[in-house]
Amino acid sequence: MGASLPPKEANLFKLIVKSYETKQYKKGLKAADAILKKFPDHGETLSMKGLTLNCMDRKSEAYELVRQGLKNDLKSHVCWHVFGLLYRSDREYREAIKCYRNALKIDPDNIEILRDLSLLQAQMRDLSGFVETRQQLLTLKPNHRMNWIGFSVAHHLNSNASKAVEILEAYEGTLEDDYPPENERCEHGEMLLYKISLLEECGLLESALEELRKKESKIVDKLEYKEQEVSLLVKLGRLEEGEVLYQALLSMNPDNYRYYEGLQKCVGLYSVNGQYSPDEIDRLDSLYKSLGQQYKWSSAVKRIPLDFLQGDKFRAAADNYIRPLLTKGVPSLFSDLSSLYNHPGKADILEQLILELEHSIRTSGQYPGRVEKEPPSTLMWTLFLLAQHYDRRGQYEVALSKIDEAIEHTPTVIDLYSVKSRILKHAGDFAAAAAFADEARCMDLADRYVNSECVKRMLQADQVALAEKTAVLFTKDGDQHNNLHDMQCMWYELASGESYFRQGDLGRALKKFLAVEKHYADITEDQFDFHSYCLRKMTLRTYVEMLKFQDRLHSHVYFEKAAAGAIRCYIKLHDSPPKSTTEEDDEMSKLLPSQKKKMRQKQRKAEARAKKEAEEKNEELNAGGASKSGKRHVKPVDPDPHGEKLLQVEDPLSEATKYLKLLQKNSPDSLETHLLAFECYTRRNKILLALQAVKRLLRLDAEHPDSHRCLIKLFHIVGSMNAPVTDGEKLIWSVLEAERSTISQLHEKSLVEANNAFLENHKDSLMHRAAFAEILSILDLNRKSEAVKLVEESTNNFVPSNGALGPIREWTLKDCIAVHKLLGTILHDQDAALRWKSRCAEYFPYSTYFEGSCSSVSPNSIYSQLSKNSEHESSNHSTGSQNAGPIKSNGKLDAFKDLTI
Amino acid sequence: MSCSSQSRGLCAEISWEFKNVSRLFSTATPLHLCFSGGAVPSDSEATLSPFSQIQTLFRMGAGREVSISLDGVRDKNLMQLKKLNIALFPVRYNEKYYADALASGEFTKLAYYSDICVGAIACRLEKKENGGQIRVYIMTLGVLAPYRGLGIGTKLLNHVLDLCSKQNISEVYLHVQTNNEDAINFYKKFGFEITETIQNYYTNISPPDCYVLTRHTVQSPTKK
Repeated sequence: MGASLPPKEANLFKLIVKSYETKQYKKGLKAADAILKKFPDHGETLSMKGLTLNCMDRKSEAYELVRQGLKNDLKSHVCWHVFGLLYRSDREYREAIKCYRNALKIDPDNIEILRDLSLLQAQMRDLSGFVETRQQLLTLKPNHRMNWIGFSVAHHLNSNASKAVEILEAYEGTLEDDYPPENERCEHGEMLLYKISLLEECGLLESALEELRKKESKIVDKLEYKEQEVSLLVKLGRLEEGEVLYQALLSMNPDNYRYYEGLQKCVGLYSVNGQYSPDEIDRLDSLYKSLGQQYKWSSAVKRIPLDFLQGDKFRAAADNYIRPLLTKGVPSLFSDLSSLYNHPGKADILEQLILELEHSIRTSGQYPGRVEKEPPSTLMWTLFLLAQHYDRRGQYEVALSKIDEAIEHTPTVIDLYSVKSRILKHAGDFAAAAAFADEARCMDLADRYVNSECVKRMLQADQVALAEKTAVLFTKDGDQHNNLHDMQCMWYELASGESYFRQGDLGRALKKFLAVEKHYADITEDQFDFHSYCLRKMTLRTYVEMLKFQDRLHSHVYFEKAAAGAIRCYIKLHDSPPKSTTEEDDEMSKLLPSQKKKMRQKQRKAEARAKKEAEEKNEELNAGGASKSGKRHVKPVDPDPHGEKLLQVEDPLSEATKYLKLLQKNSPDSLETHLLAFECYTRRNKILLALQAVKRLLRLDAEHPDSHRCLIKLFHIVGSMNAPVTDGEKLIWSVLEAERSTISQLHEKSLVEANNAFLENHKDSLMHRAAFAEILSILDLNRKSEAVKLVEESTNNFVPSNGALGPIREWTLKDCIAVHKLLGTILHDQDAALRWKSRCAEYFPYSTYFEGSCSSVSPNSIYSQLSKNSEHESSNHSTGSQNAGPIKSNGKLDAFKDLTI
Repeated sequence: MSCSSQSRGLCAEISWEFKNVSRLFSTATPLHLCFSGGAVPSDSEATLSPFSQIQTLFRMGAGREVSISLDGVRDKNLMQLKKLNIALFPVRYNEKYYADALASGEFTKLAYYSDICVGAIACRLEKKENGGQIRVYIMTLGVLAPYRGLGIGTKLLNHVLDLCSKQNISEVYLHVQTNNEDAINFYKKFGFEITETIQNYYTNISPPDCYVLTRHTVQSPTKK
């Protein structure tokens, strides 16, 4: 380094490097300038100066200098290394790897560069390269523990677990007998557990178990030791020993569901789908009864039997389970029980059971068959549970009457209002739901959860501005709204993006969806620091687990939602591009002069307001910046806060394809992925890719209405295309031809016949009928009225149920809204849409979409007042002092008088 | 019910339902088992003086213990007091009522039955005209109907009376509607006496007259 310089300057150069490492950038800069005065073309100095400037936030100068330095001294590994570091700081890992490789060509044994390279290779999952680099490092410095471990992990990641074991054993061979010293026992124990998990991965179960037991004294994590031991025993089929061990684990923690599962496996009473024969159920029952004797305080041991018991035994167990929890007042009881609603028949039993408890407490203050008086709160908690039960069953009127009675009983319990809000949401009245969530929020202004829930409801009701103000109550003062982005608050961004999308503000919607996508890129990025940290700290099992998690990061549901949202925005943008200014002028010219004037005034006012807000924001930022001027990073102001620039993409569909590819890779089992793919590719005229999407849809769920819709639409498009001319087109045709004959739905059938067959198979399902009707109208425009008639002739049947309180119908609100849209916007029959609307208003009286008689949009509704209030209360909102006046929920029960039983 | 349109300032109500009253007084004491200084259930961020954390355990049925605890009123949980007042009293209180309650500090308390807020006492501290001594005016005291007869009202009132004796406050008073015999009897048990009758005190409820109930204690001479 600095070899070509005279001694004085060489010392100065060393000073630059040292200053960089100790972050004394100004000092380094001075030294660099001193050298450059005498040797203005010295490449390494130019590079180091650039790197120093990079840390002082002078990016463009930095790149300039580093490039120039490299040009002046192509043979210097320092210059290449610096260039690599510069790229790395900008997360351009591929470029950085290239630079490091060039540096290593000049100086192959440079440990620092090798180490930096290995980190990048781990990050980029260049696994064979990673193995190579780690091998070199180990050869150069075999006395370093980290190099052994790194080499082993590299082989493991590169799917060579047995090699990884060999390396660790070789490493152990270098250790003294009395290793480890007291202060390294944890690290060594972790290494041993890692090795054992590797042996397990190789299928060498016997030796894994042997090794585990041999090293018992050296393994510090005793719980992990036991769990590993029992897992190996079970895999080896040594079930009796496993049973003993699981009993021991249960005595340590009798609420760990996995231990119970393991114990069931050991005694041969485990089934993945939870289905058991009557004999097995009896044996399970007695197993859990004896466990229940041993672990009286465990709630798991009481809860698990509810999953496998049936009929009267289920009823008795559920009764025993529910009673003490209602007495105690456990708000989460319903969500604890809710999985049972998927078991056939259990919901009916629960309903009868809870109704009996309610009746008994109401009349005598006691549970049936008991002499002790229940505390007064038991009735309220019972009503609370019942309300959630009826909500789950879709009987919203009963649910509301129950929750209102609970509120009347004890008006101070916050959970009651939250549940009321949830019921109204399910019933289709988002504005009322938001108002009650807000009421819950006001009852404890220090509770972030009720605040967040309220924000979510407001966003569902498209009250975005109000939601933002409410959310900000819990962010740090100062940078308010951005804080939610910095905290990676994804539920908020998603809900707000969806709301903007519903309101047609595609720019803001895209902004939010892409923000979520950015968080995932950041999370991928965040793993970088762990490549060195975990090897040093020896947390190897968790490290490898973390890497595997990162590999499937983008399959997370939030990413799926964000990507799907963004794709939908782009598709909409493609279908109806934003109006250019001339078009807007055209629209203006159609208006009367007075209207024009009004509109202009409106626009001016809006502009002035926006300007003022922006100024205020800037002032705030400046004030905030001044107070912490000592800190280096002042956040740049977002140049495009409303996403207007995002709307100006040239080709929205190619943007969409970017995110689509991520979805196809990471969420291949979701219907939505392939539906979106179909929509994108048909718009881009990529017929074969659209065919691929259809085939995947058919593979996932061939009977789904959307799969059917896409299938027929695709071949309808194909049928209306011109005959092929070019070789490429001919090839596509021949592929389509060949594929068509393999699709059973279309086998020897015309599209019309296939559509008819589909209807024949699913005559009683609303959504299938709707799909049939839509396709019918596409295939033959003259049969539109027939299609409308077919949809209207659908019947909303009752679900067979023993429910004591009223019948339940099959149709869901979501489906009915979809059908309404089909009638109005696709079949273009406004009269039919109106008929459908009034019919659905009967089924869904709380739905604001259908303007049901009980919803907040109906003037006769008790909620109508409330939605108006929520619109006006934004002004003094954050003070939390607003009066309970407008929301007199306690007087509201009267309105439900005729509904209660 | 009109909102805070009372012509004569704030009124005090005690809202006991008549049928519950006999049960209330006969069962309150025997249920009273023990005292322990536990934690206040709901809000942990508040700083409370030690005597606000009194917790009482009640036995319901066999082996079931339900604790009753008191917690202060702050701007973060003020809505709880509002909810109680809406349910308990035929009068809507204005902002001054809530400002006074907040300002009275330890003299205004919410009562929690296990973790549920079921009752409250709200006071106003007043300076006497001559001498600048402080007296306490009980604005409201009430417990939700289903939770009466458990000694919660007694506990709330005792808390304020204890506080008065600790701080050498000799006078506590309140207004009560003349026909509210149960409330009058309740307060008499604690040493309150009728000291005045005010005609037409209330505007919207009948009868419109009220008594002033006052409790005087002799101040300890050392603390003059």
